[in-house]
Amino acid sequence: MLIELTNCTLGYAKRPVVHIDHLALHPARCLGIFGPNGSGKTTLLRAIAGLLKPQTGTLRRAPNLRLAYLPQLRTIDPSWPMSALDAASMASSSLSLLGWVGRRKNAILQRLRTLAVDDLARRPFRTLSGGQQQRILLAGVLATDPQILLLDEPTDGLDLRSRDLLVETLRQSRQAGLSIVLITHDPDELALLADEVAHLHAAPDAGEPSHIEFATSGAPTQHSGLETQD
Amino acid sequence: MLPDPFFYPLLFTAAALAIAAGVTGTFVLLRREALVAMAVPQVVAIGAALSLRYAWPKLPPALIAVALALALLAWARHRKLDSLLPCLYVAGVSISFLIIANSGAHVNEMQNLFVGIDVAVTPDDARLVIVPVLIAALLCALFWRRWLLLAQSPTTAQLARLHPIAWQVLFLSMLGVVLLLGTNALGVVMILALLFLPAATALPWARRIPTALALAAVIGLIDVYLGFQLSNRMEWPFSHSVGGVGFAILMLSHLAALPFRA
Repeated sequence: MLIELTNCTLGYAKRPVVHIDHLALHPARCLGIFGPNGSGKTTLLRAIAGLLKPQTGTLRRAPNLRLAYLPQLRTIDPSWPMSALDAASMASSSLSLLGWVGRRKNAILQRLRTLAVDDLARRPFRTLSGGQQQRILLAGVLATDPQILLLDEPTDGLDLRSRDLLVETLRQSRQAGLSIVLITHDPDELALLADEVAHLHAAPDAGEPSHIEFATSGAPTQHSGLETQD
Repeated sequence: MLPDPFFYPLLFTAAALAIAAGVTGTFVLLRREALVAMAVPQVVAIGAALSLRYAWPKLPPALIAVALALALLAWARHRKLDSLLPCLYVAGVSISFLIIANSGAHVNEMQNLFVGIDVAVTPDDARLVIVPVLIAALLCALFWRRWLLLAQSPTTAQLARLHPIAWQVLFLSMLGVVLLLGTNALGVVMILALLFLPAATALPWARRIPTALALAAVIGLIDVYLGFQLSNRMEWPFSHSVGGVGFAILMLSHLAALPFRA
């Protein structure tokens, strides 16, 4: 087991956002997070990432866990001049003191080759299509050899072909042992990728945390699995 | 033709600032910190006004004023109080003149600091400015991948325990060094001209950040050289000549880029 949350309430200041009875993330599995706006999907992702401490309960992580995050395309600022290789190098640059990639460059180029975007490496990142940009960023993130990959609506703004390519790459990475935590609004994406879906339901009373239903696979169209509301 | 050796301290200081401001200015524009860069020289003026009024040494009060302002700014950002920054600008403009109000000679000196007329740099002044601003620029350039990461994927930076606020403070400190020493030595007009114009000219042409940094530094040096020549021939103020030349080059650059954009 890589990460386990038990009886956790997650939130900001004194405001609880989500309550979880039990959530476990295993190697080579994909956890989908699905729910309406404001239900706490990003809060849950931040807790899994270790960026938000639970207000109550326990969060256990495997030692020396390697996590990576795939940035959303809409948050990338195109006014920064950068090549596709610079964009792919961002994740690796976070791992060194000065941000230099040096010895990691070969691993990044190898991943770009694997995802068939190595011929774009010298091109300005902003001139590439959304699908190409997403594959460039994914190659860079995978080059850091993470155990868990966190994705927040990764196919947002992509055409159907680019989405299928990205999903297929993620499926292959999961088969190779990568764990994936995926926020999405797309039930098809969940059906294709997720082994388990955490469906967040906003609480009827303001001030109460959302609760989670788990479905073991496929789109969360039916309420099945564990009921974890307190 | 070589300039009179009397001008060497001024020219070497301006050249060092052209390089340093070109590098830091590129990140100021990319990080959308232009208002910070506009406000800091006004805060430097508060320190300068205190020095004039109470006959204190020139640099320490300005240094303290800038340090306090940057600490206040970092706190305001943490608390998401964005309205503080323009207020800091107005406070700098107002308070600096209130401190020296009704003392005619000091008012003239303050006006010189703002507009950069009668710029005079001694060899000691030059030594005090050149090394620190070049070190600040070098650090800023070395960390270019870090600034890129923090701007494009702050979550990735947080996962690596990089603390974006600490890096923000580091960037503001380096910018503060360039602005503080630059304003003290050459005035507000010169430092803002060298900070914004070369970087704005370079960025549309650059495909990568290192290229943008090198290009901005070279354009800054050209601005200084041509501004100095123009200033000598036309008997115009040096700072304003550099600003005028810099803006003309920026406009020419945009004109030259039109066919590529079409």
